Amino acid sequence: MRFQRRKVLTGAGAALLVAPGILRAQPVPFRFGLTPVFLDDDWQLLDLLRTHLTIRLGREVEFLQRRTYKEVTALLLMGEIDAAWLCGYPLLQNIDRLSALALPVWRGQPNYSAKIITGTGRAAKGLGDLRGDIHAYSDPDSNSGHLVTVSELLKQNHRPEAFFGRSFFTYGHRNVVRAVARGLAQSGSVDGYVHDAMRRAEPELVARTSVVWESELFGFPPIVVAREALDSGPARDFFAALATMPESDAGADALQMLQLDGFAAPNAHSFDQIAARMRIVAERG
Amino acid sequence: MVKGPLLAAGLLVLVGILASHLVLRALVNTQERHLREMALLEFAGVEATIGPFVVRDDIWEMFDLLDRVTQREGALRPLQATLIDPLGRVSVSTAPDVNPLGAQRAGMVSDATPVTAAQYDLGDGRIALSKVMQYQGRPLGQVIIEFDTTGFVAERARTAGFLIAGNAIATLIAALLGFWLMRRVLRPVARLTDEMGRSGDALTPIPDAAIPRRNPEIAKLYDTYNGLIRAVEERNASARRLADRERFVSLGRLAGTLAHEVNNPLGGLLNTVDTLRTYPDRADVVRSSADLLDRGLRHMRDVVRATLDIHRDAPERRPLSLADLEDMYLLIRPEAEQRGQKLHWDITLSEACAARLPAGPVRQIALNLLLNAASVAGYGGEIGLRLECDGEVALLAVQDSGPGLPGHLHPRLLSDTPVEPGGGVGLRLVRELVRGAGGRITLGQSQQGLQEIQVHLPCAGIGAQDA
Repeated sequence: MRFQRRKVLTGAGAALLVAPGILRAQPVPFRFGLTPVFLDDDWQLLDLLRTHLTIRLGREVEFLQRRTYKEVTALLLMGEIDAAWLCGYPLLQNIDRLSALALPVWRGQPNYSAKIITGTGRAAKGLGDLRGDIHAYSDPDSNSGHLVTVSELLKQNHRPEAFFGRSFFTYGHRNVVRAVARGLAQSGSVDGYVHDAMRRAEPELVARTSVVWESELFGFPPIVVAREALDSGPARDFFAALATMPESDAGADALQMLQLDGFAAPNAHSFDQIAARMRIVAERG
Repeated sequence: MVKGPLLAAGLLVLVGILASHLVLRALVNTQERHLREMALLEFAGVEATIGPFVVRDDIWEMFDLLDRVTQREGALRPLQATLIDPLGRVSVSTAPDVNPLGAQRAGMVSDATPVTAAQYDLGDGRIALSKVMQYQGRPLGQVIIEFDTTGFVAERARTAGFLIAGNAIATLIAALLGFWLMRRVLRPVARLTDEMGRSGDALTPIPDAAIPRRNPEIAKLYDTYNGLIRAVEERNASARRLADRERFVSLGRLAGTLAHEVNNPLGGLLNTVDTLRTYPDRADVVRSSADLLDRGLRHMRDVVRATLDIHRDAPERRPLSLADLEDMYLLIRPEAEQRGQKLHWDITLSEACAARLPAGPVRQIALNLLLNAASVAGYGGEIGLRLECDGEVALLAVQDSGPGLPGHLHPRLLSDTPVEPGGGVGLRLVRELVRGAGGRITLGQSQQGLQEIQVHLPCAGIGAQDA
């Protein structure tokens, strides 16, 4: 009986020791910030991403969506989220506190361009012909959707604030295409990748727009984490999960929907061109 | 008899048209109510959401919101939505190509129908409804949503088509049914009408077996008709009796004259017989007496024959001859002489024309009228007969110097209105004889100023009147 009592006590003690472990075994979800600026609110795509990442990370993945880059950047800076799919421009704006974890690979390279589009049938040959337009920007913190156009106007010795008759932000590259295609805006600043990706998803809409100007290549909008978390286990796990997306069905399907090849590690010069554009604007003051 | 059923059918058609109109009116009201409710919901949805976007001048969100409104499917699809600011400028429109940002479009507000309007005009296939928008007490302008009402218009046209077709069929069936029912109801009346409209034949009563006793009103109508027929028959019989009596009126009135005419030679003849008896051996006396007897008896024979000819029961079908006119002269001359009247006898009727007139009726007409003339002309007056032919019509005018035909006797001679028996001195007989001969009667005056009763008789030939 004594033996048995000891066994019971031992078992109870073990249970007490294990209980916190059981509680700890419920890991906090991995929080991933998104904006509709770049990634549209597509439930099916998010479901595929969640499936792949949850399996690879071994914990739940929670998507936090905000309307603007500024809001998502703020969440990341405050530690409210673990990672975010941002643009290179807000990354560089907060380069002392944020780091690029991974870059999407599109058509074999982690680069994309900015485009300025107009409605079809318009005889505009370049940016200079768009003076007085109602112009649709994407997001004030978007490289392709704002910074590139403003800096290019400055490069061409125009005053951005007076060049267009009127401008507004749509907070989504897809919305820029819609605004131009529908005639709400006469021209728009859009992400070249999104414009091309929409050509397959919404060909009728894209067919009603024409590209009048295309920029040089920039580093693709990166997956960003807090600088201090860059070398952490969760960050490494997250990079691995992103890098192995082509290997799982859900990941491959998600990449196919995004029309991306995969994710790669950034290099030191990935965002040099964006930085150059930022300098043009900064020099103007 | 077709008019009644047709009228009933027409009324049913009118009722059908009225019913269709009412149904369409109700449909229009329902459609307008439906549209108003839908529009109010849309406006409420927009008003609840758009305020912050307007305050922030968030063009894209305003556009996206209105664009989503116009993406709805259904019978009442919003086609276009526009927000006009209080200064009449376009804040945003889902049709920016037509209404670009900032364009002056105050006219859109005045052209639009307020959503609270009592009636909407849905006929154009689209209608622009407007509503003033407010956010936290701040006026935002007016949202104008243009709705596609082609579904309503099509539904209305479809309903109108169904109504027209349905009502046309229903009305046709009801009209045919009504026509059949009315014909059935009116059949007894139709039979009565047929009986009454039968020309040529005498009216015959409806047999008792054919009277529908289960339908008291129709039975009463038939009984009344039969009673009417009997009354007419009795009246005709009475008229016949009257005519028969009047046929002998002239005879009665001539009786004295005839007796005198017979009696006058009778005394001379009896004297001649005595003379014969006294001088049977004197050949010259016998010869002259025989001549005297012969003339006297011939005169009496002529008088009797003329009388018999005139008052024969059956109307003579032989043509009029000049001998008939001489007979009339023979009969009326003594009557005139008895009254000391001057007798005018003006016969210019040709033999050929006379031959186309019936002897019997003409003699009776002339004699009756001459007797009346003699009666009214008074002692020492003037009477006369003028008989002439004017083309295809023979004129028989009887003249007298009297005051003319009294007014109360005009209907007897000049119309067919029923008259009481008696007192007519043969005028109704004359009327019937003239009508029977296809002629007519007028009143006038002779060139000498005598009153004339003029009888116009067609020279159609004897046979024509029997045809």
